[in-house]
Amino acid sequence: MRQLLDFLVRKRHWILFILLEILSLMLIYQNNAYQRSVIISSANIVTGSIASASGFFTSYFGLRSENQELLEHNGQLEMQVLALQNELAVLTGDSTKFTGYSPDQDYIFSYDFIRASVVNNSVTNLANYITINKGRKDGIQPDMGVVSDQGVVGIVSNVSDHYAVIISLLNPKLRLSGLIKGNFFGSINWNGRNPCYVNLDEVARHADFQRGDTVVTSGYSSIFPAGIVIGTISDSRRQQDDNFLSLEVELATDFYSLKNVRVIRNFNQSEQLKIEQEAKGNDS
Amino acid sequence: MIHNVVRSAVYFVVCIAIQILVLNNIHFLRVAIPFFYLYFIIKIPLGYSRSYILILSFITGLIIDAFSNTPGMHTAACTLAGFAREPLIQFFIGKDLPHDTFPSYKSFGYGGFIRYVVTFVSIHHIALYLLESITLFDPLLIFIRIVASVLMTSILICAVEAFNLETQKSGE
Repeated sequence: MRQLLDFLVRKRHWILFILLEILSLMLIYQNNAYQRSVIISSANIVTGSIASASGFFTSYFGLRSENQELLEHNGQLEMQVLALQNELAVLTGDSTKFTGYSPDQDYIFSYDFIRASVVNNSVTNLANYITINKGRKDGIQPDMGVVSDQGVVGIVSNVSDHYAVIISLLNPKLRLSGLIKGNFFGSINWNGRNPCYVNLDEVARHADFQRGDTVVTSGYSSIFPAGIVIGTISDSRRQQDDNFLSLEVELATDFYSLKNVRVIRNFNQSEQLKIEQEAKGNDS
Repeated sequence: MIHNVVRSAVYFVVCIAIQILVLNNIHFLRVAIPFFYLYFIIKIPLGYSRSYILILSFITGLIIDAFSNTPGMHTAACTLAGFAREPLIQFFIGKDLPHDTFPSYKSFGYGGFIRYVVTFVSIHHIALYLLESITLFDPLLIFIRIVASVLMTSILICAVEAFNLETQKSGE
């Protein structure tokens, strides 16, 4: 007994080492799931506030180019407003000369936006996450889509009271369906190499597209509305199993200088999920 | 003794602040990330028990994890590196140095210190990147990332050590 105790005391750093390693491996295992704990992430109150303090300073970098982008975006939106006003004027101006169909007024656009600033962002890891300065108290829930002025950014994964962590597009865990102009689908995923490109896999072999075509969200998942830009096609090759094409997509969002994002809230999301669950339940 | 505790605390805060505020954003040629916070563990004075160093490196890793959204990875890698620290010093330096000696160019010699840093950093980085590859396994990419990051971190730590005024002043 005495010898055993002696042995344990002499080798106590081994025991401590094994204990600590088991602890950290448990952390990795627990947090490898899609939904992670908030405590050891940049969404807890201490790390969040330090990150937002540093984000406050870094947000001054690159104001000029950001301003430029906003101006451009503003210009495009103004053009759209003008076009829509024109259309409206044609439709309502003279009811006797009515040629088109009048849009259904009962239809309500079921999405709205919550603006937020990025406080912590990574592009360097194999699995990247973004932290924003809005949380549960601002109405953010897990599984909401996140976009920037340029395009899709990611999906909210976990939320604390004042911060939220987003799974960025640059993360192999994120699955998103993309749509090429002309109705061909594929699934978007990142291969860990370059933060400017993602792959659009499982595209049908007969898909008709050209380099530079836009890839947009499909709108099937209830997370993103249809038609938000993901990127443009820059290259294509056959997948290993030869039945599908794998396209390289240049991302519209610049993840290196991401500062302001919008979180998309879908009022009908729970309803859609519920009915999808019911349909799946009928199968089995 | 008190002096050592204050000094370690300053090193701890400065190294972690530099890592999370500046260096976490660096991604040189899209492969190399410098993990400068290891400098803190490297500079812990000799003569402390291995349990003490283990706990310190565990806490360091945990804090870095919390800030960079990688739960457990840095913690595991740091604990392993902290565990290997004592045998490494024994192996490279061999001769018995007095307690409370700070690892530096003067106390270890240039060759000794650089060998110590490079091995220490390599152990940490190999563990870290292999753990990271759980999410995505791509052997060539992982190899390139490990080599590039080890080079970058080691160069950074050796350069900072060379310009570390405190080491030169106290003349250890």
